[in-house]
Amino acid sequence: MFKNNLKIAWRSLKKQPFFTFLNTFGLAIGMAGGLLISLYIYDELSFDKMFADADRIYRIDTDIKFGGNEMKSSESAAPMAETMKRDFPQIATTVRFRDRGSMLLRKTGAEANTKEPQATFADSTFFEFFGIKLLVGDPKTALTKPNTLVLTKTAAEKHFGIKNALGQSLLLNNTDTYTVTGVIDDLPKNSLLRDHSVFMAMAGYANSRENDWGSNNYYSFIKLIPNSKIEALQEPLQGMLEKYMLPWAQKYFPGITKESFEASGNYLRYHTMPLTDIHLYSIKDSELSANSSIQNVYILSFIGLFLIVLASVNFMNLSTAQSLKRAKEVGVRKTLGSNKTDLIRQFLTESGLISFISLMVAIVLAIVLLPYFNNLSGKNLSIPYANPIFWLILFSATIILGLFSGSYPAFFMSRFMPVTVLKGGGQSKVGGGNIRNSLVVFQFAISVFLIISTLVVFQQLKYIQGKDLGFTKDQVVLIEDTYAAGSQVQAFKEEVGRLGQVKGATLSSFLPTPSSRSNSSFFKEGFKDQENAIQMQTWDVDNDYLSTLDMKLVAGRNFDTQFVSDSAAVIINEATLKVLGVGPQEALGLRLSQDIELEQPQFYTVIGVVKNFHYESLRENIAALGLFLRNSTGLMAVKLKAGDFSNTIASIEGIWNKMAPGQPFSYRFMDESFNTTYEAEQRLGKIFVVFTVLSILIACLGLFGLATFNAQKRTKEIGIRKVLGASVGQISYQLTTDFLKMVGIAILISLPIGWFVMNKWLEDFSYRIEISWWVLAIAALLAVGIAILTVSYQSIKAAIMNPVKSLRTE
Amino acid sequence: MLLQLNNIFKWVQQGGQRVFLLKDINLEVEEGEFISVMGPSGSGKSTLLNVIGMLDTFDEGTYNFLDESAHTLKEKQRSNLYKQYIGFVFQAYHLIDELTVYENLEMPLLYKKLPSSERKAMVADMLDRFNIVGKKDLFPTQLSGGQQQLVGVARALIGKPKLLLADEPTGNLNSKQGEEIMELFKQLNDEGVTIVQVTHSEKNAQYGKRIVHLLDGRKISD
Repeated sequence: MFKNNLKIAWRSLKKQPFFTFLNTFGLAIGMAGGLLISLYIYDELSFDKMFADADRIYRIDTDIKFGGNEMKSSESAAPMAETMKRDFPQIATTVRFRDRGSMLLRKTGAEANTKEPQATFADSTFFEFFGIKLLVGDPKTALTKPNTLVLTKTAAEKHFGIKNALGQSLLLNNTDTYTVTGVIDDLPKNSLLRDHSVFMAMAGYANSRENDWGSNNYYSFIKLIPNSKIEALQEPLQGMLEKYMLPWAQKYFPGITKESFEASGNYLRYHTMPLTDIHLYSIKDSELSANSSIQNVYILSFIGLFLIVLASVNFMNLSTAQSLKRAKEVGVRKTLGSNKTDLIRQFLTESGLISFISLMVAIVLAIVLLPYFNNLSGKNLSIPYANPIFWLILFSATIILGLFSGSYPAFFMSRFMPVTVLKGGGQSKVGGGNIRNSLVVFQFAISVFLIISTLVVFQQLKYIQGKDLGFTKDQVVLIEDTYAAGSQVQAFKEEVGRLGQVKGATLSSFLPTPSSRSNSSFFKEGFKDQENAIQMQTWDVDNDYLSTLDMKLVAGRNFDTQFVSDSAAVIINEATLKVLGVGPQEALGLRLSQDIELEQPQFYTVIGVVKNFHYESLRENIAALGLFLRNSTGLMAVKLKAGDFSNTIASIEGIWNKMAPGQPFSYRFMDESFNTTYEAEQRLGKIFVVFTVLSILIACLGLFGLATFNAQKRTKEIGIRKVLGASVGQISYQLTTDFLKMVGIAILISLPIGWFVMNKWLEDFSYRIEISWWVLAIAALLAVGIAILTVSYQSIKAAIMNPVKSLRTE
Repeated sequence: MLLQLNNIFKWVQQGGQRVFLLKDINLEVEEGEFISVMGPSGSGKSTLLNVIGMLDTFDEGTYNFLDESAHTLKEKQRSNLYKQYIGFVFQAYHLIDELTVYENLEMPLLYKKLPSSERKAMVADMLDRFNIVGKKDLFPTQLSGGQQQLVGVARALIGKPKLLLADEPTGNLNSKQGEEIMELFKQLNDEGVTIVQVTHSEKNAQYGKRIVHLLDGRKISD
C-alpha cells in the first residue's frame, strides 16, 4: 500500500510540473534559509562551552560610578582574583589576563617582524583552568617564569617548527626578549580567546602583584568547586568594597567611608558573569573579544521561523488550490471502497515526498549559499556532514514539516463527497477559500513587516553615516603601529607631510574610531572632593591633530609648538564644559589636575574648546574628553588630497621601509574603520534585505499559484462574462482586485506592528531618525506593486482565453 | 431480495420551497435482474442511482440492502459495502489518470487488503477476460473512450460485486463502442450479476429485462 501511495504521489507530482515546481522551490527556499540560520544560531549558542568545567567558570565584572562617569567594566582589579581565592573556600582556582593588544614578534637575530593581533599576560594556571593541552611544553611550568611565553600553533609556525619551538627566543615590539616555553593548538573560533595568539607569563608583569584596587585592568576568571552555588558568593563579593577597596583608597581620599562614598552618588558593584553567557549576554566596556547579543539570536530565530512557516503556508495554499484537479480522484477512490484514513495517508505521502525533494534542493542551495551567508554574518560556518545527529535532526524536521504542511490539505481533500465531485464536468465548488485567503494575508503581512524593518534599518544607517560627526573621516589613511619606527617616527611624519598628495599628518594615541580608551579622574583647581571629580578621556595628540581631522574650535586656540608651556595645556570638548558647568569662554584658563593628592600637582591649563565630535558609536552620548600635547607614537593619521590614493600609499610605504626596515606596514582608511562601529547594524541590515527578498519571493510563489487556481476555477464564469460582452481589461481588473483586497488587509495589519517594533529598535540609539509616513507608504506600495505583477499575468491569460473552449460541455 | 426502497423522498430547499428530486419512490430489486432507468433530463435518474449506490442521502423513507437498513450506516460500514457488493461504472469513466490500466484494476483489491499474489491473479484474469492484456501498462489517456470504459467496467467487476450500478455508461461513446459495452452487460447479467443502469437511449434500455420510467422525481411506470 505504501509503495502504491508513493508511486501515485510521484506520478501526480510529475503530472503537474508547474505546481510541483512552485511547491518544491518555495519549500526549498524556506528550508535552506532555516538551515543556514540554524547553523548560525547553533554556533552562537556553542560559545565557550568547549572549555573544561565551563559551567563552573565565572568572570568578575565591575560596575563603577565615580566622578560623574559610569562605567561597566568586564575587568576587575589586579588583587581581586587572588583575594577571592583566599577568602572564599568554594573557589577552586582562578586565572587572570592582562591584555596588551597587538604585538610585533621576531625571532632574535631575524630582521622582519610579524604582527599578532592579540597578546596578553596570563597567570600560570591558564592551561589547567581552561583545560587547554600543550602540543609541546609542560603545562605546570610553562608560564611560571618572567619573560616566558606560549604561542598558538599558527603564531609559532610563522617563526619556527613546533617541534623545535621550545627554548626559542623572541623579541616583542623590538624591545623585550622572551623565551618560548610552550605551544598550544589554535583556540576555537567560538571561544572568547579566539583572537589571542600570544600568552606571556604574568610573573613578568610587576603591576599584577601590586595591591591596587583602583584600576580595573584584569580579566579575572574564577572556577567554583563542583556542586557549589554561585549565589552564595554574591553577598560576600559586595563586601569586598568595604574590606579592601576603601581601605586602599584612604591613601588618596583620607577618611573615605562606605557611607561618604555612597552619599556622593558613587557606587562600585561586583558581578559574576557565567563564562558561557559572555558571548550573548555581556555588554561591557573593553570585552576580551567582540560579543554578539541574544537579541540578534532572537531576531534571526524569528526570521528563520517566519521563512519556514511562510513556505509551509505556501505549500498548504498551493495543495488545496490544486484540489479541484484531485477531487475526481478522491471521489473515485471513495466509490472503490477507500476510507478517509487511506486518503489522508495518500496525501501525507505526497507532501512527505515533496518535503524530501525540497530537502535535497535545500541542501544544495545551502551548500551554494553558505560562503555568501558566511560573508554576510561574519562567521565561518560549515555543514557538519559527518555528524549523524545533524542528519537525524534534519530528517526528522523534514518529516515534521511535511506532515504539518500536508495535514491541512489532506484533511481538507479527504472530506470531499463523491457524489458532488463526480457529478458533471468537475466544475464543482471547492471550499476552503477563506482559509486560503487568510493564509495569503498572513504571508503578505509578514512580507510588509520585513520591508518596513529593512527600510528603517537602512535609513538609520544612512543617517549615521551622513551625520556631522564633528570631524572629517574621508580621505584619511591610518597607519598603525608607528611606534615600531622608534626614534625615526617624527622624521617619518615630517617626510610623509612633505609628499605632494598629502594635506597633513598627525601622530596620536587615540582617534575617533573603535578602539580601547583611557579614562582618568580630573579635578578643577581648588577642588579635592570626589564629588567634583571629572571623568575624562585623555588623548595624547600633536599640534596637527585638529587640522588633519578637520575638528573645529569653539573657543581658544590650538596647540602651538612655539609655546613651551603648551605641554601643560589641554583642549577640552563641549561635553566637558557641561560637567564643569561653564561656558566656552569662561573655561579658557581654568586649571585641571589629575594627581590632586600630591603636594604640587601637575596642572593643565585649558587653552581651547573643541566642538563635540563623535568618538563612539551614535548609540552613545558624547562624554567629557581632553586632548593633551604629548609625544605619542601609536597611530599616524594622514589626510590625503583627492586623487589616486594607491600611489600615495605606495610612496608612504616606501618612506616607512626606508626609516623602519623590517617593520610591518599596515594601514586602514578611516571611513572603513569607522564603519566597523556599525558592523552589527550593517549585518542586520543586509540580513534583513536577504530574508525580506526571500519571504517576498515565497509569498509571490504562493500568490501566483493561487491566482492560477482562481483563474482555472473561474474559467466558466469568465467565458460567460465574455460572451455577454465584458472586455479583457474589465475581466483582468476584476480578477486582480480580488487579490489586492487581501494584500490591503495584510498591509493594514502589518503597518502598525512594523512601526511599533522598529521604534523599539531605534530606542537603542542616542541619535536616531523618526519613522516617517513615507516609509510605511513605500512598504505598502511595494507590496501592492509586487502583488499586481504576480497576479496580472494569470488574470490577463484567463481574460484573453477563447470562451468557446471554456463553455464547451463534456 | 437484493435491495428494497420504500417511500423514498429527496428534496432541496429553493427559495423557501421544497423542490423534490425524488418523490415517493418504491423499488425492489431481485438478484439477477437487469434494470434500465429511463426519463428526460432532470427526472431524477442519476439521483436514484446515487441513492441506491449510497453515494447520496435521502430525506424520507427506508432503504434495505440485503435486509440491512442502509440509510443508518456509518461511512466505514458503507465503504465496506462498496468493497463487497457494489461496483460503479460512470459516464466519464473516472479512471485515475496517474495509474496504468493494471494499477487501476488493482486498486479496489488494495482497499480489500488482499495479498499480492491473489491480486496479481485476479487482475490477470480480468485483463484476459476483457482482452486488454496488451494495454495493461498504458495510462487511461492513451486509450480510446471505448477502451477506457472497458477498463471502467473491468474495475467495477474485479471485486466480484453482486450489484453493478452504471450511470449512462455509453453516454460518451460512439454507437459501435456503446453496443459493445451493452453486449458485455448482457453477458454479465447472464452470468448472474445484477445490473441497474441509467440511460437516455431507448435502444440501450432494451438490453434490460425491466425498464423503470421516471418523470420529475416520480416513478411513472415499471
